[in-house]
This record gives sequence, C-alpha cells and structure tokens, in this order.
Amino acid sequence: MICVKCGQRQATTEIIQRYKNHVEKLYLCSECARDYRPEVFDDFEMLDKLINGSPMGLLSGFSDFFNTNKAIRLVCPDCKTSSDEFLKSGYVGCPKCYEIFEPLIRQTVKKLQQADRHVGKRPYGVSGGSGDVALLRAEIQEALDSGNYSRVNELSKVLEKLEGNGGL
Amino acid sequence: MDDNTIVSTRIRLARNIDGLPFPHKLNEATARQITDGVEHALSSVDRFTRFDMNKISNLDGTILQEKHLISPDLLTECPFGSVLIGMDETVSIMVNEEDHIREQVILPGLSLERAYNRINMIDDAISNTMKFAFSPRYGYLTACATNLGTGMRASVMMFLPALTMKGLIDACINDVGRLNMTVRGIYGEGSNAEGYLYQVSNQRTLGITEGDILDSVGSAINHIVDAENRARELLKRDEPELKDKIFRAYGLATNAYKLTTTEAMHALAMIRLGAYYGYISVNDQKIFTALTTKCLPANMQKLSGKNIGALERDILRAQYIAAGIKKSTVKND
Repeated sequence: MICVKCGQRQATTEIIQRYKNHVEKLYLCSECARDYRPEVFDDFEMLDKLINGSPMGLLSGFSDFFNTNKAIRLVCPDCKTSSDEFLKSGYVGCPKCYEIFEPLIRQTVKKLQQADRHVGKRPYGVSGGSGDVALLRAEIQEALDSGNYSRVNELSKVLEKLEGNGGL
Repeated sequence: MDDNTIVSTRIRLARNIDGLPFPHKLNEATARQITDGVEHALSSVDRFTRFDMNKISNLDGTILQEKHLISPDLLTECPFGSVLIGMDETVSIMVNEEDHIREQVILPGLSLERAYNRINMIDDAISNTMKFAFSPRYGYLTACATNLGTGMRASVMMFLPALTMKGLIDACINDVGRLNMTVRGIYGEGSNAEGYLYQVSNQRTLGITEGDILDSVGSAINHIVDAENRARELLKRDEPELKDKIFRAYGLATNAYKLTTTEAMHALAMIRLGAYYGYISVNDQKIFTALTTKCLPANMQKLSGKNIGALERDILRAQYIAAGIKKSTVKND
C-alpha cells in the first residue's frame, strides 16, 4: 500500500485516530508518520505538552499521550504489535517495530540505558557507517547552535567511540 | 584473582534474525527454520548437541537448567525453544527464548576477556550465515529494549559468605548498583542467593562498547572481592565461633545420613569458607562448584539412574557429598 500522505513511498505505519464520533485509519510511510500530528485534540494541555514538552517537541510527549489520551494507536504492519501492547509489556514484536515505535522507543531506551546510540560491535558485512558519523556531526552542530552543551558533550563521546571503531 | 571468591564467568550475546518476528510472535515452522539455521552455522565451529524443548524430558531439561546451560524460561515458557550445547559444556546457544539467539559461554574463575573472545568467535560464525537484525542507531535489535545495543551481558558468579553473614551484602549491592551493575541470586532473576552465591552483571548494554562492559564488570568484581576480603577479616575476629560453624558444617557434610539441597549447599559453602581460612585443606577448589551442581534435585535424580522420591534423594545426596568431601579435603585441627 502506498502512503496516503506523500503518495510515493510504501506505507509502513497504520495510525488510528479517534474523533468524537468516528475513527479514521491512515496508512503512512515511516517518514510521514514521523511528521504526523493528530488533527483534533480535546485536551489542549496535552497538545501543549506534545509540542513544547521537551527538546524533541512533538515526539517526546508521545508516551504520556498514549497513556492518557489513547487518541492515536500505532500498529506495526509486519507483526501487528500495537503501541498499547508495547507500552504495556515493554516488548516489541519484530525488528520493524523499532521504526514504527521510534518516538516511544527513543524515550524508553534513553531512560533505561542512559544512552540512545550504539557504539559497539557490528555484524559481519555491516560497515563502520560513515553516514552515522556525518549524522552525528550534524547533531553536534545543532546542539552547539542551540547552546545545549551537555548534549554536545554526550554526542562527542559517542563520536569518539564510533571513530575509534567501537568493539573491544 | 582469588578463586575462593570468584566461581565462574559468563558472557551472553542476544541476537535476532532480520525480518522475522521475535519469538513471542513466532510460529512453529519459522522457529524450527531458525534453529536449523543456527545448527548449520555452528557446524563450522565445533560439535554441538541439539535439544528441542518440546521433546526433552522434564528431568533432562531441569539438569540443563541446574548446570546453567539453559534458562528456566526456555524450559517452561518457550514451546519452540531449543538449545545447542558444545562438547565441553562451556558454550550453549539458546534458540527462540526471549530472543531468537542467546549465545553463551561459561568459564571457571574470572575470565572475562577469554569468555568474550570465545563467544565473539561463535557470534561471527553465526553472523556469516544468518543476517542479524541491526540498526546503526540502536545496534543489535532485541525483543526488550533492556538488551539493545551490544546485546551483551557479562556476569560473574561470586561466593560472598562474609558479606552476607555480616549483613553487609545490601550495602555492597547498592554500591555496585551505582556502577550500573546488577546483583542477583545464583539462579538469576528473582531467585535467592543459596550457598552465598551471587551473580554480578552489567545493566547497560547500549552506548558502551563490549570492551567497556568487560572493564566495568571487572572493576565492580575487584571492588566486591575487596569488600568480601575485609568482611572475612571481620568474621575472623570471633574465630572460635567461626571455626565451630565451619567444623559443624564439615561434620554434617561427612556424617549426615540424609541432606536436603539447602542443607547441602550451606554445608558446602561453609567448608569452602573454611578452605579460605586454612581450617580445611582442599586439593581442588573446583570440587565445590561440581558438588553444588550435583547436589541439586534433578542432577541427583539422574545420578541415581532410577525414579526416586525426595527422601531417597536426600539419603543419596548425603552419601555423594560425604564421599566427595572426604576424597578432596582434609580437616586441619
């Protein structure tokens, strides 16, 4: 199925939005799903939290939002695990879930692991990832520009490890 | 490193196959394909024996669990679970437990780097033939986010009688908790520390390298060994009481007509402590680990070669332990 928003990429995410009198399903690609904002909110306080609640804005408020409003429910197209299921059990159903529930997972992972980026071994055939390093440099620059020096410090350590090739 | 305090080292790597649901969402046919794939990949490394959990007897499964070759969950909660065990029983690969593949190596004493090198070689061999689920950001993808990144848990089993007897173990657990370590009882999560045996392992798996994990676990172990040694000095301040406890345990282990598992584990622990103080001479420290495993119910049942009840098992255990202790130790008066 093609994404209903961009009309180009393959839809990977099913979003169920509950309005007052009806429910609507949207099928989006992962990029459009990331940028997706619910259209109707009964709870303006929650909306404010979603948009302004943290450095990541909209995404960082997802977990509270899922827990309290239940207005949006993400479902993994591959294994049919829902965001409700993930939040309840702490388990994802398949590797694809990590893309679908990315905003939720990032929060959980950061809390659990005090980090959100892998710096260790890579499987056979997966290169050191110059793309990762470039992305990381851009994030460091962004953090520098916004004066978030603790984030700069954190990401610089990750960069150091990535450039040092990780592992033992 | 002190082999009276450190029993064994275990390294485990969690891996999943790309594009497939994790085990709790898996059907039987796909689960079997994964097991077959892992078995095939391992054939280039060593000879492994395969046990499927839906075929193994409860007794044989429990023996594997008592030897720490499989988790309790693999036996009871994973209908499509399997395990592949290397010839010398130091390597075991659980398939379709919480993750598709749990690679594990257990070596005696403190052998963090050696254990990692061994499991890393096996991991490479599997990775050569099966594509692991991996994300550049989160590393090896696992069913639970607590294992993301390296998917690596390095644990060291420690014998900590003095910290326990002096009531200092909780403080020690809190200290290593600050170093991002977890301390559990001998049989892992939720279990009691029978025989004063504890398992110390890393909590974090993401944002650190495998080398970082080995270093941090190594440092925590050094810290705990120091604390245990200091507690053993404290314990010795009341030497008559200490000696009495140890010699009573020796007497029980060598003379009792019947012994429960808990009594046996406690007696073995006290004799092991006696060996540390030189009250008892031991020709091989490994005897304690061997007897501790052998005295567990399923191993004892297997040893008898027939179906016996709890009472007969306790009588057999007493005979077995008495023979083992008399053969390997001498009480110094």
